[in-house]
Amino acid sequence: MKVKIYSTPQCGYCHAEKEFLKENGIEFEELNVFSDVKAREEMINKTGQMGVPVTDIDGQIIIGFDRGKLKQLLGIRN
Amino acid sequence: MFDLIIVGASAAGISASIYAARRRLNFKVVAKSFGGEVVTSGEIENWPGIIHTDGIELADMFKKHAEANNVLIEEGKAIESIKKEGNIFIISGKNSDGSAFEEKAKTVLIATGVHPKELNIPGEKEYKNKGVSYCSVCDGPLFAGKVVAIIGGGNSSLESAIMLSEIASKVYLINKNPKFKGEQILIDKVSQNGKVEIIYEAKTSKILGENFVNGIEYANKNGEIVKLAVEGVFVHIGRLSNSGFIQGIELNEVGEIKTDSLGQTNIPGLYAAGDVTNIPYKQIIIASGQGVTALLSAVDYLNKNH
Repeated sequence: MKVKIYSTPQCGYCHAEKEFLKENGIEFEELNVFSDVKAREEMINKTGQMGVPVTDIDGQIIIGFDRGKLKQLLGIRN
Repeated sequence: MFDLIIVGASAAGISASIYAARRRLNFKVVAKSFGGEVVTSGEIENWPGIIHTDGIELADMFKKHAEANNVLIEEGKAIESIKKEGNIFIISGKNSDGSAFEEKAKTVLIATGVHPKELNIPGEKEYKNKGVSYCSVCDGPLFAGKVVAIIGGGNSSLESAIMLSEIASKVYLINKNPKFKGEQILIDKVSQNGKVEIIYEAKTSKILGENFVNGIEYANKNGEIVKLAVEGVFVHIGRLSNSGFIQGIELNEVGEIKTDSLGQTNIPGLYAAGDVTNIPYKQIIIASGQGVTALLSAVDYLNKNH
């Protein structure tokens, strides 16, 4: 499973999501849409919107830090 | 049954939790997410003992401090109802997977904070996350090199202008009043910033766009409609209390929970602290102090009534 997070450096919900993934032992690739213009365009093209975080799990997109959906798609229990 | 349930895990709730742990109460913290509005605060330079930090870092320190005291914090819980039956509180809501939960406690401390107020103008809902944002520190970086507008007249709008002036190519700061209500140090910084153009007495009336925002309209002081080409609109016009789920609670005219100076609400055993209350000053340090005051009041109540 490949997990990518598009985020900005000072976004609280992005930070919270990354902490959540770490706590659950999920590896992810981090894309900073502030410094990385290509990643920014990729995120906007994928989602048609500009809110962060955006999570891409094997092509399935989650907009915002949505614990319920993350748990479901990543098979996290508890 | 718990002695206490603290609802909310930011400045007020976490400060209270540290005291509750040291008092050895049987309690826990339930929250939608850790850090609340603190994590969206950006730079913080008025928390004594720490000359400079930011919201995420401060919230992390809060979390570590709570964990060091073995505080149980359950995140991802959306509270839907709090009611008192006899002298017991019943708290219910939904977990992040949509399942229901219910908890019982002898006392409750509400520290649920606030959420950003909306303009309620055409285009706002349609373009949310498509150029319209309520969090400059989160979404600002996506507007690098672009022209943006900030709507508001208080500290948050001034802080947003300072931050966005470092990212955007041009910042319009649109204030419906003839003056700013905020810290003079921030007003001075913004006034001296060559990238920020302040427009006073301007009432934003419409957000324009196609797939994404491409402009706004406002009425100037003569009532004429003026159009500005912008790609981002940051709304910082104040915040509303997260208070709409407590049966029988007394709120003021803007929905803030009324408390006395000890954090007591109109319902015995139910306390509130921080931005959710009718305190006029929404500050992290005030919320922390209020959280502790309310917690100590709750301890007194437990000693007398249970």
